[in-house]
Amino acid sequence: MSDFAPAGDPVIPDYGQASDCVINNGAFCTDWFISQWSTVFWPPLLSHIIMVAIAVSIGFVIAFFAALLAYRKKWLAGPIGMTATFLYTLPPLALFQLLVPFTGLSLLTVEIALVCFTLVIIFQAVLVGLTGVPDDVRRAATGMGLDRNQLLFKVELPLALPSIISGVRIATVLTVSIATIAAFVVDDGLGSPIIKAVSSPFNTQFVGAGALAVLLAFALDGLLVLLGRVLTPWTKARS
Amino acid sequence: MTQDSTGTSITFDRATKIYPGAASPALDELNLEVEAGELVCLVGPSGGGKTTALQLVNRIVDLSSGDIRIGGRSITDQSAIELRRTIGYAIQQSGLFPHYTVADNIATVPVILGWDKERIRTRTAELLELVGLSPVETWLPRYPAQLSGGQQQRVGIARALAADPPVMLMDEPFGALDPITRVTVQEEFLAIHRAVGKTTLFVTHDIDEAIKMADRIAILKPGGKLAQFDTPEQVLSNPADDFVAEFLGAERGLKRLALTTVGEIVTADSVRTDAEDAGWPDVEATMTLREALSLVSAAGAEGAVVNSGGSRLGEVSLHDLIAPPASAGGDREGLRA
Repeated sequence: MSDFAPAGDPVIPDYGQASDCVINNGAFCTDWFISQWSTVFWPPLLSHIIMVAIAVSIGFVIAFFAALLAYRKKWLAGPIGMTATFLYTLPPLALFQLLVPFTGLSLLTVEIALVCFTLVIIFQAVLVGLTGVPDDVRRAATGMGLDRNQLLFKVELPLALPSIISGVRIATVLTVSIATIAAFVVDDGLGSPIIKAVSSPFNTQFVGAGALAVLLAFALDGLLVLLGRVLTPWTKARS
Repeated sequence: MTQDSTGTSITFDRATKIYPGAASPALDELNLEVEAGELVCLVGPSGGGKTTALQLVNRIVDLSSGDIRIGGRSITDQSAIELRRTIGYAIQQSGLFPHYTVADNIATVPVILGWDKERIRTRTAELLELVGLSPVETWLPRYPAQLSGGQQQRVGIARALAADPPVMLMDEPFGALDPITRVTVQEEFLAIHRAVGKTTLFVTHDIDEAIKMADRIAILKPGGKLAQFDTPEQVLSNPADDFVAEFLGAERGLKRLALTTVGEIVTADSVRTDAEDAGWPDVEATMTLREALSLVSAAGAEGAVVNSGGSRLGEVSLHDLIAPPASAGGDREGLRA
């Protein structure tokens, strides 16, 4: 290796061990990706997963109970739905900007914003699932003497599960994606290596981190599909 | 089969329902005395209040005035939830829970009532046998989506019978079945009814179904008024008014023939040796007069040869078919005993 920077654009400091791919800033340098995995990629991936898990969990709890409320008190469905939709329409960056004066450049700011985006999707999915329970099933259940709670827990919620799970899948995939811009607020998540690599255009770093975000979305979606199959065995039953 | 409890009487005492905002009652002072073990069909056109009458009994709909008593006890004496657990309820499309297996569907009310597992298991198996789904092991783990319409309806009936209720309410239970399955399930249900003797209220819009199933038929007319309450035989021979006559249709004479089987009117001394030469068709003793008449008409003959299990019982003439002796038919109590 030369003591001088190679002709063309110097990309990153060369400590004398970089491969040709890294020196020439190739689209994706596997060797660098592997050697930097534990420092550049794994920590943000882990914090990304935690960020998404927290946001979807809290979003689910809020949206689920809001949907139950809206299901029992029909007049609440409109106002709750509109509020959730309003939160969903806010541009994520603008929402960060609005929150920072109150909650600072913190994980809290990020989570509040992420939760806001999951609400409308999960709320609608739960409500659609509950209202989609066939009338004859509900009538038979009532006629047999199930009380309101038995109707909800034994019949309505189980039958709403396929819809609820598809809502959670969409919310999760969306949150994986939106969480990358959390890097504007905190140095966490896969957005962090992406933003750094964009400002000093080193391909492997942002291609790698971007690909990890996509793979993470697929993986979480796949896990939820499996969860759905386990929880709703009857949906696969055909004569 | 364990001994099931027998039925209990149901009394409608000026039962009235006026839905909020409705100008006229859906059910107007209905008085009906349904005896223990009886199968009563509620029939009538849409707007006659037949489904309302049924749903008043298990308080899916609340009475506006009047009372309904089951076994002498007012339905308002206990909570609606408690009441419903003592009443079997079967509806059109079966209303089976798609996420429950056949076993779990049938066990719904026993589980709520806190029966122990062994008792539920025994009861479930027994009911599946009763509705003709055996061997039970094949059916227990299936989901409703894996059953045909007729099978679903059988499971629906088993579920309604699960906690051994003295009273059964059936809201057009066979309405969605194809005609062939429907006849089979009707016959099976009649056999079950004879076996377990539950007092049954059965709503149908199909007068033929009512004639076939009912001990007595209650015909409701628009405005929720009772037009006639009598045996199928009486309703068909003596309609109470023009509405009933029109509701029964121009074929009511033929429908009446469906109440009697050929076996009931054939007599051994009616043997004619030239029957086959005259082209008389063979009929089974279990056929109704209506069915036999149809065959005779198709053959262009003057009568039919009656067989039972391959042996010849005798003949019936065209005249016997269309004007059966007054003693025949309408005697369902005899069949049940």
